[in-house]
Amino acid sequence: MNRVIFSIRSIRSIRSIRSIVAATLLMIAFSVFARGIYQTDEAFLAETFKGEIPKSQVVWVKGDLRKAINDILGHRYAGLRIRYWHKDGRKAWILEEIGKDQPITFGIITAKDKVEKVTVLAFRESRGGEIRYRAFTQQFDDAQLKDNDLDRHIDGISGATLSVRAMTAIVTLALYLDKFTSQQS
Amino acid sequence: MNRRMRSLHRSMGALVALFVMMLAITGMMLNHTSELKLDQRYLTWNWLLEHYGVATVEADAVFLLDQKVISQFDKQVFVDAYPATQVQRPILGGVVLDDLMILATDDALILLSPEGEFIERMSGTAGVPPMIQNIGLFHGEPVIQTRDGMWRSDFLLDQWERISLYGISWSAPQPMPDSVEADLAEYFHGKGITVEQFILDLHNGHIIEWFGVWLLDVFAVLTILISLTGLWMWGRRLA
Repeated sequence: MNRVIFSIRSIRSIRSIRSIVAATLLMIAFSVFARGIYQTDEAFLAETFKGEIPKSQVVWVKGDLRKAINDILGHRYAGLRIRYWHKDGRKAWILEEIGKDQPITFGIITAKDKVEKVTVLAFRESRGGEIRYRAFTQQFDDAQLKDNDLDRHIDGISGATLSVRAMTAIVTLALYLDKFTSQQS
Repeated sequence: MNRRMRSLHRSMGALVALFVMMLAITGMMLNHTSELKLDQRYLTWNWLLEHYGVATVEADAVFLLDQKVISQFDKQVFVDAYPATQVQRPILGGVVLDDLMILATDDALILLSPEGEFIERMSGTAGVPPMIQNIGLFHGEPVIQTRDGMWRSDFLLDQWERISLYGISWSAPQPMPDSVEADLAEYFHGKGITVEQFILDLHNGHIIEWFGVWLLDVFAVLTILISLTGLWMWGRRLA
């Protein structure tokens, strides 16, 4: 009888170990597959402007603009100019921000002071790749600037706090740059 | 038997005395690290830095642009000994154009100011031809060699025309100048080896790696033996 109980316990423990190993492998696989280039910059622009990509323009990051950008990002922006593409009232921005350790490349389309769409073009972190899903990025659709901040609350993702923070900051920056470039022209 | 034991005791004693003195002196110093500020004093003897493997650094690529030394360590790009920016791909070359330093990777051009500040990364979306193999200058104008041919632009770098030229001064990797290497070694490894670290490694034998640990073990066994032989002789005298 004892042997039977023992063997049942052994089977159960083996099953639980298998489950743990399977779950661990799944998590590792998920984090590995989260990294990657989901869309090239060229493909993003071609999709945005239906194959007719306009000539790029640049914004020089200096003076008050630099201060505002630094305030939005919460750190000094590394770069002296930002490139963007503008056609028929729509602007495309390809911007990078570090999540935890690695830069995440975002493609943001703005139009009429609103966010049209946000796309994660490249994700290099080991965790937090869930931010690339449309179910998450659609929270930013039609977002506007309000006192140099987004006009809405963005729901976070457990385990992707820094990636969510990076995306929120970079969308805010795109909206600010959209407003700035509109005022300049 | 007693004479043999005494002879063994003396021989071991001479050997062990040096070891015990070294342990005692380094131990006392470590006990007073704060008062002696051992953790704030640095040793920069070349042989010691080389022994610890912190005397030199090895860059993945080095280019000399004007008076600046551009080097890449993994993804980090340095201008002289200052971190300028990060790149995802290896730097293939660099040129100076008016008031710009231009570095080329296979998929983009990295623009830096004359002071080494990062300006922008220009890729195919900014009109830069892909699959770059090298960058050079022809009569002051930037030229890039790609797998698809040779291209020339002007200082704006956003419009490239296909060309076929000879006599281009292509960028080539250079050895790291000693002065910058020393500064980079300090950037990566700090000011040197702290006196505390050096004394600690003397104390525990790690100064000569695994051999030092085993040597200390041998001396420790000898110390045990000398204690036992001493006790044995003392016991015999009492008896």
